[in-house]
Amino acid sequence: MLKRIAAIAVGLGAAGGIGFFAYAWYPAIAPVARPAPSSFSPDAVKRGALVAAGGYCAECHTRTDNGGGPVMAGDYKMETPFGDIFSSNLTPDPETGIGNWSEAAFKRAMNLGIARDGSQLYPAFPFDHFTKVNDQDVSDLYAYLMSQPAVHQEPRKNTVPFPINIRITGQGFWKLLFFKPGRYQNDPKHDAEWNRGAYLAIGDAHCGACHTPRNLLGAEKSGSEYDGAVIDGWIAPPLNEHNPTPVVWTEEELFQYLRFGVAPLHGSAAGPMSPVPHSFLSQLPESDVRAIAHYYADVDHAATRSSGDAAAVTRAMQMSGRNLTGPQTQDADARLYQAACGACHYNSGPAPVSGRPELALNNALWLDEPNNLYQVMLHGIGAKEGQDGIAMPSFYAGLTDHDMARIAAYLRRTRTTLSPWTDLEKKAAQARATLKTPPINASH
Amino acid sequence: MGKLEQLAKAGNKPQLSRRGFLMTAAGAGLMFGFARKAQAAQTMPSAMPTEAAFEPNIWCAIAPDGSVNVNIVRAEMGQHVGTALARIIADEMEADWDHIKITEVDTGPKFAGKFVTGGSWSVWDTWDTFRQAGAAARTILVEEGAKLLGTTPDKCTARNGIVTAGSKTISYGDIVAQAKPTRSFTPEEMAKLPLKPASERRMIGKEVAALDIPDKTTGKAIYGIDVKLDGMVYGRPKMPPTRYEAKVVSVDDTEAKKIPGYIRYVVLEDPSDIVPGWVVALGKTYPAAMRAADALKVQWTPGPTIKVSEADIIDHARTLGKDAKNGTHVFNDDGVDATFKSAAKVITAEYTCASVAHYQLEPLNAVARHIDGMWEIHAGNQWQSLVLPQLSKALQVPEEQIVMRSYLLGGGFGRRLNGDYSIPAALASKAIGGAPVKLILTRSDDMAFDSIRSPSLQTISVALDSSGKKISAMNYTATAGWPTQVMAPAFLAKGLDGKYDPFALSGADHWYETGPTRVRAISNDLANRTFRPGWLRSVSAGWTPWALESFIDEVAHATGQDPVELRLSMFTATGRNAGEAPNSTNGAHRQAAVVQKLAEKIGWGKTQLPADTALGIATSFGQERGMPTWTAGAAQVHVDRKTGIVTCQKLWLVIDAGTIVDPGGALAQTEGAALWGLSMALFEGTEIVNGTIKATNLNNYTPLRIPDVPDMDIEFVESAEKPMGLGEPGVTVIAPAIGNAIFRAVGVRMRHLPMRPADVLRELNNHTV
Amino acid sequence: MTTKFELNGQPVSVDAPDDTPLLWIIRDELNLTGTKFGCGIGECGACTVHVGGRATRSCITPLSSIEGAAITTIEGLDPEGNHVVQVAWRDQQVPQCGYCQSGQIMQAASLLKDYPQPSDDQIDGVMGGSLCRCMTYVRIRKAIKDAAGKQGGATNG
Repeated sequence: MLKRIAAIAVGLGAAGGIGFFAYAWYPAIAPVARPAPSSFSPDAVKRGALVAAGGYCAECHTRTDNGGGPVMAGDYKMETPFGDIFSSNLTPDPETGIGNWSEAAFKRAMNLGIARDGSQLYPAFPFDHFTKVNDQDVSDLYAYLMSQPAVHQEPRKNTVPFPINIRITGQGFWKLLFFKPGRYQNDPKHDAEWNRGAYLAIGDAHCGACHTPRNLLGAEKSGSEYDGAVIDGWIAPPLNEHNPTPVVWTEEELFQYLRFGVAPLHGSAAGPMSPVPHSFLSQLPESDVRAIAHYYADVDHAATRSSGDAAAVTRAMQMSGRNLTGPQTQDADARLYQAACGACHYNSGPAPVSGRPELALNNALWLDEPNNLYQVMLHGIGAKEGQDGIAMPSFYAGLTDHDMARIAAYLRRTRTTLSPWTDLEKKAAQARATLKTPPINASH
Repeated sequence: MGKLEQLAKAGNKPQLSRRGFLMTAAGAGLMFGFARKAQAAQTMPSAMPTEAAFEPNIWCAIAPDGSVNVNIVRAEMGQHVGTALARIIADEMEADWDHIKITEVDTGPKFAGKFVTGGSWSVWDTWDTFRQAGAAARTILVEEGAKLLGTTPDKCTARNGIVTAGSKTISYGDIVAQAKPTRSFTPEEMAKLPLKPASERRMIGKEVAALDIPDKTTGKAIYGIDVKLDGMVYGRPKMPPTRYEAKVVSVDDTEAKKIPGYIRYVVLEDPSDIVPGWVVALGKTYPAAMRAADALKVQWTPGPTIKVSEADIIDHARTLGKDAKNGTHVFNDDGVDATFKSAAKVITAEYTCASVAHYQLEPLNAVARHIDGMWEIHAGNQWQSLVLPQLSKALQVPEEQIVMRSYLLGGGFGRRLNGDYSIPAALASKAIGGAPVKLILTRSDDMAFDSIRSPSLQTISVALDSSGKKISAMNYTATAGWPTQVMAPAFLAKGLDGKYDPFALSGADHWYETGPTRVRAISNDLANRTFRPGWLRSVSAGWTPWALESFIDEVAHATGQDPVELRLSMFTATGRNAGEAPNSTNGAHRQAAVVQKLAEKIGWGKTQLPADTALGIATSFGQERGMPTWTAGAAQVHVDRKTGIVTCQKLWLVIDAGTIVDPGGALAQTEGAALWGLSMALFEGTEIVNGTIKATNLNNYTPLRIPDVPDMDIEFVESAEKPMGLGEPGVTVIAPAIGNAIFRAVGVRMRHLPMRPADVLRELNNHTV
Repeated sequence: MTTKFELNGQPVSVDAPDDTPLLWIIRDELNLTGTKFGCGIGECGACTVHVGGRATRSCITPLSSIEGAAITTIEGLDPEGNHVVQVAWRDQQVPQCGYCQSGQIMQAASLLKDYPQPSDDQIDGVMGGSLCRCMTYVRIRKAIKDAAGKQGGATNG
C-alpha cells in the first residue's frame, strides 16, 4: 500500500530558480460552498464509491493510531525518516476537509497533485497513478466523497523539517523530473478486458506504487516496472516474469487472490496487501477484478511460463511432509518446524488442502529475502486477513530470532530449489524491529 | 474485566456455566472425584459420602442409595490410579462396579502421612490395605444382610452389591438404609480378615474403562491450573539466576507500571529458604503478570553456583569416586579387592547421563489464600505429606492450619513429588494479606525451576576368572545429585555404613550373581547445591540399567559370549538373589524367565536383519529390589553411518509384575513408559550452563512426538503373585537395549545418554580409524 | 478495545487489550478451562481451539486477530461431548493425565476434516505438533483411525 512508501517521497533537497518556480507555482482555486449531496446523481455516487474502493482511499485517509478515527477523515500517520506526515481529511467538511473544493480543484489534485490552495501535494498521494484516471471516474469519485458525512477533524501537523517541508521546491522539482501527467490511453494491441485491467491497475489501483522499485529520489524506476520492492519490511513481490514462485501466477490464481485474498497455489494476502482484496477489491464488480487478473497474467507471461506448474505442484506435495512423518528425524530444525508449523502447513495428496497453505509453493519462500516469511511469522494473519475467518497465530513471542532463522533456513533448504538465504538471524532481528508494537503479549 | 455478553442468557449451555467449582466459599472437605455412568460429569464434592452412609473404615463408604465411595489419597496424574485402587476394594467387597465413585481427598488428619504418589508404589502399597478394607465392608454387609433376610451369614453370598440367601436378596444400599450399620474395624482387626482367593476375583485383572477418562475428553476435568477463586490475582515469578542463595539487591518496576493490569511486585520472604531470591509480579490477569515479570528489572547477588556447568558436575563426581572413603556401600561383599587383585582380566567402563527435564505439560502452579484461619493451597501434588511441613515453616504457622486441596495433575512424572512451587504462591498471598494468588510459572520459568534428573556418573569394573568368561567380582559406583537427601532426608535408605538415596542408586543393586560385589552410592554435593535434584519417572532406574546393561553387554562381547546367554548364566537366584515372599518370590529366576521369554519372542540369534540394523536387549527389575517388576526389553535399530542417526524401528517388552490389577491401565502405563525410555535415549536431555538448565522450552528441548513412535510389542507374564508397580519399569530397559543394538549394528559403544547423532558419528569415526 | 467474536456458537464481547492471547481470554475471562496452557510458544498444542473450523494455537493468537471469527473450544466441539473423535478417545481409552487431550482432540477433529481417512503419515504430519508427555501416541493413532471409521460409517449410513 502506498502509505508505506511515504518515506521515499519526501526525502528531497531544495531546488531553486525562477523558471522552476514558474513551473511549480499554481494558483489557488477559489473555495466554493459545499455542494448539497442531493446535487449529485445517485448513480454517480454509486460509481464513485467503486472508484474510492478501487483506489483504497480509506486505507490512507483514516487514522489508525490513537484509537483510530472516522473513515476518510484523514490524520493517518505516515512515519518517514524525515518526520511524520498526516493524511488529509477527504470528508466534505468545509474547514478541515474538502467541503469547499470545487470539482475542478478536486480534478486538479487527481490529475496534477496540486491542492486547492495551489500547494504541491507530497507524492505519498500517488497522483502519478491517479493522473491516469479518466474524467468520468474522477467526477464520480468527487460526487461520492462530497455525499459522505462531513467530519470536522484537523489532521495533526506534519513534522517534516525545512527545507523538505517547502513543498513548492521539493515536490515541484520532483514532479519536473518524474511526473508525466495524462489520462490512460487504450492500447489497441490488446482487447477491451486487458485495457480495462491495465486502466484500473495503472491508475486507480496504483499497484506499481508498491510493486515497482523506486530510484534514490523515490520515483518509480522506469524500465523496472513491477520488478518488486521492499515496503516497510515486506517485499511487494514482482508482478512480472521475475516473480520466482514455482507455480506461475495465472489469471485464475490472480483472480482468486485479488478477489478473495487467497491464491490456492501461492498463499494469502497478508500485511500491507491484506486490505487490498479484503476491504476494497471485494467491493468491485467481479469483471473488474477479472480484468486486473487478466492484465497481470499477461504482464507475467503466464501463458508461456505455466507449462511446469503441474510438476511444481507435484514436487511441492512430495516435499510437504519432509521430516514431519515417521521414522524419527534428528534434524533439530525439522523438529522445530514440526512443533511450530507442521500441524497447519503439512499437506499430502495431489494438491494443498484449502486452509493449509503449502509453504513449498508459497511466495514467501521463493523471494530473494525472507522478509515476508518473517513478517508473517511475527504478525500472524488475522481472521479478517488472508483466508476469511481463519487465523494464523503471531509467533512474535513464540519464536526467537534464532528459531525464526532456523525455520527459514530449513524451509529454504528443503522446500525450494533456490540458494540459501544469508544472515538469517540478523534479518530476523531486523524484521522484529519493524514491529513497533508486539502483536501478542506472551512471554517466551 | 472480561464481559460475557449474552452468555448469561445461555443458561441452557452447560459448558458455559458449569463452573460450579468456582469455590467462592468452599469449606474444608473432600474435593473432587469421578463417578461412574450418569454422574460422571460431576467433578465436585458430590462424591462425598452422605450423612447416612456407612463407613466401615476410612477408605470406603456405602450410601443408602447403593453408591459406594472410595477415598483415594494417590494423585491422579494419568495412571488411572483411582480406578485401579477402586477395583481392588470393589472386588473384595463384591460391590457393583456401576455404583462405584472415587474421591480424591484433601489433606487432613484422617489421612495424615499417606499422601505420596510415586515410585510406582500405589497399587503395590495399597493392595493389602484395600483388600482388607473391602473385606471389612463385605463382612459387615453380609452379617447385617443375613439378619434382614432372617438367616445367618454362612447361608449368604455377596455379588454385585447384593446379598443373596436362597431365593431372597437384599442390596447393599437397602442394608445400609435399613440396618444403619455402624461397626468399624481397626487396622489390626482388618488385617486378620479372611480375603478372597485369586480364583474368586471378578474385577481384578479384567478390562475396565477408567473413571477419570470421560471428563478428560470433554474439557471438564479440573486441574490445579483451572482453579479460580473470588478476588483472585495472578502471579508470575521473576526467576533468580541461581536456585539457591540468590539475594535480591534491587527491583525497578518503572516499566512494569506501564502495563495495564499490573498490581505490584513482591519480594518473597521465605523462612524455609526453599525459594530464595524470588520476586513475584502480580497482575489482575495472567497476561498482565506475565508481561510485568518480563518488564521488572531485578538485580541479584547470585548464589555461588552461578558458573557451574554440567562438565563441572561430572568432573566433581569423578573426583568424589576416586576416594574410597566417599559414599555409602549398599553391597560390600568379602573378597572384592582380593578377587580384583588376582583377576585374570579386569574390564572397566564409565557411563554418564545428561540432565533431563520433567516437562510435565501443565506448568507448575498453585493457588494460595488465607481464609477462616486456614491456609488453603490448591494444587496438583504427588506428595502433600512432604510439602506440608515445608509450607508450615515458610508460612510460620502450624501444619494443622494448612489444607492442601487435591486436583488432577497435568503430568507428574515425579516433578510434583517436590511441592516447592506451592511455597511462592503461599508467600505471595501472605505478602498481600492472604488474598488469593494464583501463581503460574511460564514454561521457561518452569524449566529454570525444574527439579531435574541429576546428571550422573557410573563406573563399573568386573574381574574375570581364569576362564576369561565368568565375572568373579564387581565394583560399581554410582554418583549423582540425591533428591531424597535434599528434600526428604527421613526417607534415605540405610546402607552398610551410612545412609544413601535409594532413588539415586536403585537398579545398581542388581540380581546378577557377580561374585563378591561392591555397590557404592555417592551424593554429588555440587549437583545438590546447584539445582534441586528431582525424582523423575523411574528415578535412578532410568539411568542405572543404562550403565549396568550396557556394561554386561560389553563384557559379553569382550569375552565372546552371547549377551542373552551370559545374562541367563548370572541369574542363579542364590544368596540375596533368591528372593522372598511376597514381593520377590523366586527372585532372579523370574528375571531370567522374562529374558528367556523375550529372546524367544524376538527370535534372538535367529533373525537376519539388513546391514547396519540389529537387535539389542536389556533387562531390569523395575524400580527397586524390594518391589521388583521383572522386565526384559529389546530394541531393533538402524544406524546411518553417514549421519550417525539412530532409528529405533521396534521395541519389545516382556514384564512380570505379578498380578495385573487393571490390564488396560497397565498396558497404557507401559506404552508410555517405554516411549519415555526412547525419548530419553535419543531425543531428550539438556545440560547445566551457568548454574541453570540450558533448555528453556520446546524450541530447544525436543521430547518424542507421534512420528517418532516405533512399533511396540508388550507382553505381561501371567501371574498370581502380589502386584508390583508399572508406572516406570517400561522406561528402564529401553536406553540400554538401544545402546546394545547400536553396538551390534555398527560396532560402536555409546557410553553417554542421550545418544545424539553427533556422538554416534564421532564414535563411528574413531572406530574406523 | 472491545473484541467481538463467536464462542461455541454464542456471540461474545470481550473488553481486554488487543494483544492478549486468546487462550487467557477463553480460560480466565470466559471460564472455559478445557483449553490448556502448555508451552506458551505454540509448540505443544495443548491450547488448540478452532478458529473458523481450523485448529489454531490460542496461546499465541492475539485477541485482535480473531475479531469477528467463530471460535470453538473442546467444550463446544459437540453439545453432548459426543463428537466422533471424543467417542473414539473414550473407546480407545486414550487419555492418561489428560492435560494435552483437549488439544489433541481439537487437532484430530480438524485432521479428519482435511483427511477423512488419514494414513499414518497424514496423522504424523498433522499431529506432530501436539505433544503428549504421557506418550499416549499409540492410542491417539488408534483412536483417530477408529474415529475415521466411525465417521465414514456415519456419512455412508
